[in-house]
Amino acid sequence: MALPSNNKMSCWAAPGVYKHHEQRKVCISRPKYRDGRKDKAVKVYTINLESRYVMVQGVPAIGVMTELVQLCALYGVVEEYRPLDEYPAEEFTEVYLIKFQKLTSARAAKRNMDEKSFYGGVLHMCYVPEYESVEDTRLKLLDRRRYIMRAAQNKARERKTKEDGEEKPTTSNTDRQSNMTLSQSHEMPRNDNNTGGNSNFNYYSDFTLLPLPPQEQHYHMGQQGTELREDKMGTLHNAVSNTNQQSEYNSVSQTSSENIQKNRQQRPTQNQTPMVRFVPRTTQLEKRKHRKEEAAGQTLTDLSEVNETLIGPKLPEPPKIDMEDESMNTTVCLIRNTMKRVSSYQIFLWQFRATLSHQVSSVSINTDSFLLGWISS
Amino acid sequence: MSITTMWKNSSEGSDRLEYLQNLVTEFQDTDNEEAKEQVLANLANFAYDPKNMEYLRELQVLDLFLDMLTEENENFVEFGIGGLCNLSVDPECRDTILHNSGISLVTNCLSSQREETVLSAITTLMNLTTPLSRAEITDPAILQCMLRFSLSESPRLRNLAGVFLQDCCAKEQVAQTEQEMHGQQTAVGIPLAEGEISATLSPSVHSLHCG
Repeated sequence: MALPSNNKMSCWAAPGVYKHHEQRKVCISRPKYRDGRKDKAVKVYTINLESRYVMVQGVPAIGVMTELVQLCALYGVVEEYRPLDEYPAEEFTEVYLIKFQKLTSARAAKRNMDEKSFYGGVLHMCYVPEYESVEDTRLKLLDRRRYIMRAAQNKARERKTKEDGEEKPTTSNTDRQSNMTLSQSHEMPRNDNNTGGNSNFNYYSDFTLLPLPPQEQHYHMGQQGTELREDKMGTLHNAVSNTNQQSEYNSVSQTSSENIQKNRQQRPTQNQTPMVRFVPRTTQLEKRKHRKEEAAGQTLTDLSEVNETLIGPKLPEPPKIDMEDESMNTTVCLIRNTMKRVSSYQIFLWQFRATLSHQVSSVSINTDSFLLGWISS
Repeated sequence: MSITTMWKNSSEGSDRLEYLQNLVTEFQDTDNEEAKEQVLANLANFAYDPKNMEYLRELQVLDLFLDMLTEENENFVEFGIGGLCNLSVDPECRDTILHNSGISLVTNCLSSQREETVLSAITTLMNLTTPLSRAEITDPAILQCMLRFSLSESPRLRNLAGVFLQDCCAKEQVAQTEQEMHGQQTAVGIPLAEGEISATLSPSVHSLHCG
């Protein structure tokens, strides 16, 4: 493992190759009951390993930095980006450093872009916490602590509410619980004074008031809720996806993920952006696509005007690749234009799917409200 | 919320506990070291989600993680301290660790050859800092260790040690320890040997004993 030659690691210093950058071999010897849908390596993620700084390897060297940054921007605001020319890279590929505004965005991007195809190459994403400053590290730890404290307070509040509520047992609650085929295997210590039925009542109550997942999740609602499950910590938990154990819960109850989505949308957000904030970004991208089609001569540098969520320096014009041969240059241009059209359709499809999922969830919420009203009447 | 939603959630909760119980049972029953590592890593990763913390406490996984800190297998130690790092942010888990003499066990991990283990140990110590435990955590031996770490080649180690010294210790304490160490510092400019941080530590820190 090579080490940096200079003492100070800043965003603009020569990068070093660390162990946590390396892609480990996947584990193939897991028993079936804990084998996820996707093979993962045996690795433990802590807050120290995660970071707003992400390194992207395997980017084809055909001048697609702009497209890469646009793709990353789908998962959150990108504060800085630059190519890491000094970092060892495979032939015909480039390495980029991306700094997200939020850790949640970095997690979402890593989970969704890692091992994904991009302009003919396969991306490898990893966190690079060595680029953080002391203040970055401190804020990261503080955010994590605050989130856990909030979750603990919510749980304590729920517990207290349930205990207060259980002092007045109602017939309707008992009937509901008798209709549920609840597992009786778990005994919760705090329910020693309660009936067996009420003890299970506390389970779903504990889940109802968990904070909403971060906004990035809404782009991935169509994926069976796996990513949503991982995002419930207020940030997207790559550690869970690393072992992918949550897929076991998906297999247990097929529709539970959809219900969890509904629940999450009903829960109040505390430190997360409201759902409605997704709409402007999608709309802006659609608008941008529309304008592109209307004005054929529009360059990518104009994107900074319509994509208000992208913070950072104005995007440079795409570099002109000179193959030193006219026919080759023509071929390269043709390929780039084709890939641009394909990627724009891809982005449109992603947005469409996100919008559709959002609408489906809204309908589900309304349906739930209707059912609840019907039942209680 | 609909009835079906409530049913699904309660079913999910009991399934979740049952699944975690299965993991713990497999860890205890199997002799296969590789399987143990896999299960330990699973549990440590589950510990990151606050939703699982209560169940893991119930299943005494905290004790399991603490036991791993004295194992010969370095993977066991790394995954164990990683799990503690994830769990120790929760106040109830923190108190459980403190009651089980966790500080001394975690402090021993500062001497590990593995950077991830050391990083997790530093973060865990920060999480374990309370008004009552502060005196033990800011022991001069630990402060000296952190001061050396703050001069390390590794940026992550430098940053974490810096946060520890700034947030968990009084300035006077740090200044006093620095003065005591004056002339003994040998960490400046010494590169890490193949990612191992122990090369930057003096023998006195290697034999760090606390508690």
